[in-house]
Amino acid sequence: MSADPLDTLATIGKGKSTRSALRVVILALIAAASIASRLFSVIRFESIIHEFDPWFNFRATKYLVANGFYSFWDWFDDRTWHPLGRVTGGTLYPGLMVTSGAIWHALRALTIPVDIRNVCVLLAPAFSGLTAIAAYLLTNEMTTSNSAGLLAALFMGIAPGYISRSVAGSYDNEAIAIFLLVFTFFLWIKALKQGSMLWGALCALFYGYMVASWGGYAFITCLLPLHSFVLICMGRYSTRLYVAYTTWYALGTLASMQIPFVGFLPVKTSEHMPALGIFGFLQLLAFLDYVRSAIPSRQFQSFLWIFAGGIFTIGLAGLVVATSAGIIAPWSGRFYSLWDTGYAKIHIPIIASVSEHQPTAWPAFFFDLNMLVFLFPVGVYLCFQELADEHVFIIVYAVFGSYFAGVMVRLMLTLTPVVCVAAAIAISTLLDTYLDTKTPPEDQQSAEGSEKKSAKPGLKSASKPVVGVYSIWSKGLMVGSFSIYLLIFVLHCTWVTSNAYSSPSVVLASRMPDGSQHIIDDYREAYQWLRQNTKEDAKIMSWWDYGYQIGGMADRPTLVDNNTWNNTHIATVGKAMSSREEVSYPIMRQHEVDYVLVVFGGLLGYSGDDINKFLWMVRIAEGIWPDEVNERSFFTPRGEYRVDGEATETMKNSLMYKMSYYNFNNLFPPGQAVDRMRQARLPEVGPTLSTMEEAFTSENWIIRIYKVKDLDNLGRDHISAAAFDRGQKKRKATKKRGPRVLRVE
Amino acid sequence: MRWLPAFLSVSLLAGGSLAAKKTSEERFKSFHSKSLSSAPLKLSDASYRDLTSAPRDYTAAIVLTAMDARFGCQLCREFAPEWELLAKSWTKGDRAAESRLLFGTLDFLDGRDIFMSLGLQTAPILLLFPPNAGPHAVASADPIRYDFTNGPQTAEFVHGWIARHLPDRPHPPVKRPINWIRWISTFVIVSGSLTASYVAWPYIIPILQSRNVWSAITLISILLFTSGHMYNHIRKVPYVASDGKGGISYFAGGFQNQYGLETQIIAGIYGFLSLAGISLAIKVPRTANANAQTVLALVWGVLLFVIYSFLISIFRVKNAGYPLSLPPFM
Repeated sequence: MSADPLDTLATIGKGKSTRSALRVVILALIAAASIASRLFSVIRFESIIHEFDPWFNFRATKYLVANGFYSFWDWFDDRTWHPLGRVTGGTLYPGLMVTSGAIWHALRALTIPVDIRNVCVLLAPAFSGLTAIAAYLLTNEMTTSNSAGLLAALFMGIAPGYISRSVAGSYDNEAIAIFLLVFTFFLWIKALKQGSMLWGALCALFYGYMVASWGGYAFITCLLPLHSFVLICMGRYSTRLYVAYTTWYALGTLASMQIPFVGFLPVKTSEHMPALGIFGFLQLLAFLDYVRSAIPSRQFQSFLWIFAGGIFTIGLAGLVVATSAGIIAPWSGRFYSLWDTGYAKIHIPIIASVSEHQPTAWPAFFFDLNMLVFLFPVGVYLCFQELADEHVFIIVYAVFGSYFAGVMVRLMLTLTPVVCVAAAIAISTLLDTYLDTKTPPEDQQSAEGSEKKSAKPGLKSASKPVVGVYSIWSKGLMVGSFSIYLLIFVLHCTWVTSNAYSSPSVVLASRMPDGSQHIIDDYREAYQWLRQNTKEDAKIMSWWDYGYQIGGMADRPTLVDNNTWNNTHIATVGKAMSSREEVSYPIMRQHEVDYVLVVFGGLLGYSGDDINKFLWMVRIAEGIWPDEVNERSFFTPRGEYRVDGEATETMKNSLMYKMSYYNFNNLFPPGQAVDRMRQARLPEVGPTLSTMEEAFTSENWIIRIYKVKDLDNLGRDHISAAAFDRGQKKRKATKKRGPRVLRVE
Repeated sequence: MRWLPAFLSVSLLAGGSLAAKKTSEERFKSFHSKSLSSAPLKLSDASYRDLTSAPRDYTAAIVLTAMDARFGCQLCREFAPEWELLAKSWTKGDRAAESRLLFGTLDFLDGRDIFMSLGLQTAPILLLFPPNAGPHAVASADPIRYDFTNGPQTAEFVHGWIARHLPDRPHPPVKRPINWIRWISTFVIVSGSLTASYVAWPYIIPILQSRNVWSAITLISILLFTSGHMYNHIRKVPYVASDGKGGISYFAGGFQNQYGLETQIIAGIYGFLSLAGISLAIKVPRTANANAQTVLALVWGVLLFVIYSFLISIFRVKNAGYPLSLPPFM
């Protein structure tokens, strides 16, 4: 009876054409959902570029659209890293800018007038739709189940681990790079399965695009050789592998070397060496394979294996020697910190200071993946069942992806695709098993020949034959509970996206007591002030975090920015911020600084301010000038980092402290000044500034801008000039005035 | 800097009484000849005052430490061998004493008064007394203090710090003795394991080729990584912590924090949930007996539900604003 409507339901999807039409519709809906879920920030705030790095990408894209491709390629930017400048065209990954430039031109050619800003803002959501489709294709290569691909596409579309980097306005390299990553993997699997040069060349093409887009391409560069190596170790060398790998490597390396920023790195640095090594190893194997086919002999075969192993060992030893002799560049810092994160902490404070380079605590995994985090091992286990070449890929990717994601928060992004694929395999297997309307006959126990299965080497748990599920109760329970889990997953993703990943961080939102939204727009207020009230070439000194935003929004030259290519220059800024005024002023004069910008959260309780980042400035400066800047002297004798009356003299006299708290106590009744961020009562008398004057303070005091004073007209130093202005009589200066010194600066 | 006047008066007093008899050069000679046989010098109250007394044309680097087990100074004990190594290799490398540097160690038990007069609350502390007479004299003879804020330091690191404060003098490098035990044991272990693997090769091959072994390794490592084990490894988090009421706090407050035990609980939960998923996907449909299959499916299904609900409730502890929950652990 009950089977009747079920049957009619089942027959709807039976026809092949209906099915593929349904599939296209579902995929389109998934792509639409993944785009829509990334639009929270545009709806809530406005179409605006987020964060820090995207502002540089946006500025570069505007330059590309305005000046054309060739001048973009040769772009030397003299408005950053003053006075050094930056060879921008040669030190960026141009893929993102060129993509949005091309889209902009295409839309213009179709006579759709669109602002380049809107292209940039919406690029990441658009590409996330493509990523969902790429995940569908990749999963379809792994399993015969029809639903797995669609589930993977759905997971990929809304998993917070990917949304975190691809909401509207998050115009960063990752926006397109994850699509390229997944699609390159799909093409690699396709090339490997078919042993096809065409697919291999396509894989190389997309690999080249990936190299042009994101520094994370090294992940592909290491994963594909690793996959091949594991296959070879399993004794699965085949001509398919040879064709796919050599095509990808030869063309892909050539493609990657076309990017000026990459240049000759693929043949020089050690993170590219595994790819080269496996390439050579495959040539040897192919040669031996040919010889073996020509001279069939059993002893010869074992000799060949020893020969191949010997060559491999010699190659490895050569690599080690060449690295230690300095012929091949040693592992670059950022990459090395993946293997030994203690290294970064000791040697490169600038790497340790970036929060994206911190290790991942477990809540972050659950936050970004929800139930996928425990379905992921299930899917990986299912891959062991069949263990074809493509399943080995998923296993290798899973282990290394989760290792890297555990070491660095940012690499959660590269783990997410494999989690989605594996979890989709797991759920689709479960649903296929329990959604089957057919009930197996009761007694078919020993009917199937089990000896046929057990002969094959496989998983112990999968040695018995599949019989199917008997009870409608277990079916109902499983289908019901998994529907609940999937529903919770959707709710979780929506909640995470809406609450955690959709804030532009340029505009802060807070809730008023009555529940209405209050927008704190201090950043843009301050950058607008800079744009309208300062000279076109006024140099702004700030900590490097704000460099890109000042360049993008205020359009003023900066000393340092988020492209942290010159550690010494950053340390110079750190030293100026953490030293006494007498030390800082000459530094600022030498760098022609006109304004200094600091971020201060004491009034509002905003945690991302410069006083909280201050120790990193001290540490980075100490790395270069250990005798002049000393981290210890910023801590009280009891080892506390304080800003109130108990703060150390070094702290109170540092330029950063003075600029942050200058005039702050005037806001409060005498003696009542409180820093709301650090819950500290400040001393009654605030700091005094002699070499600079307050130029601008934003509504909520988040941004404070100071103008560096010009030299004193009477030739006094600024300390005594400021003391004179305050009406303090000179105490000793009249007696001890030395001979007049000619001003030379 | 509060202790400076007190310290100066003490050292001046002591120095005055002793230095009246010996000149700076004589003191250096006697100390240096001693340190050639046993570097660093083991100091006492009197010899410390003698060594640091006022007109001195040499530099003294002195570690104030507390080695006795009663004080429980882990850092002191960790730093002691490094300090000895540095003192020995510097003194050996500079027999003619051209760098005019003396190494000393003052233990709290031998120099209680010195610790009191310096007002020291912590140990170890390294003081570098620059010369105030002779060719290398500097303007301010106040000792330069090195704090061990970044944990125990290697001999090389301290060597760099000392060398920075002794410009234009020879800096004999740190020479670590060859660790014979380690070399020999490495050799024995490598050769032993090679032999063992050669003998056991026929037995190892099936293990190496077993899918069950590899799948177990893969799943365990994935579970370790996704439950935040690398975070523990890098940040060296405590295993558990006290909750301030005499009990144990299993879960660290805050989204960015975790304890060692906490990650093991989480890894266990993930492992159990994965096991449930694997059983439901592979084991249950292969169970031929209908009743056994139904029981198995219901048990795993209910357990999956309950444990997942528990996991969400733990996550709500970590992230206070999380709105979702499942029935048993609301």
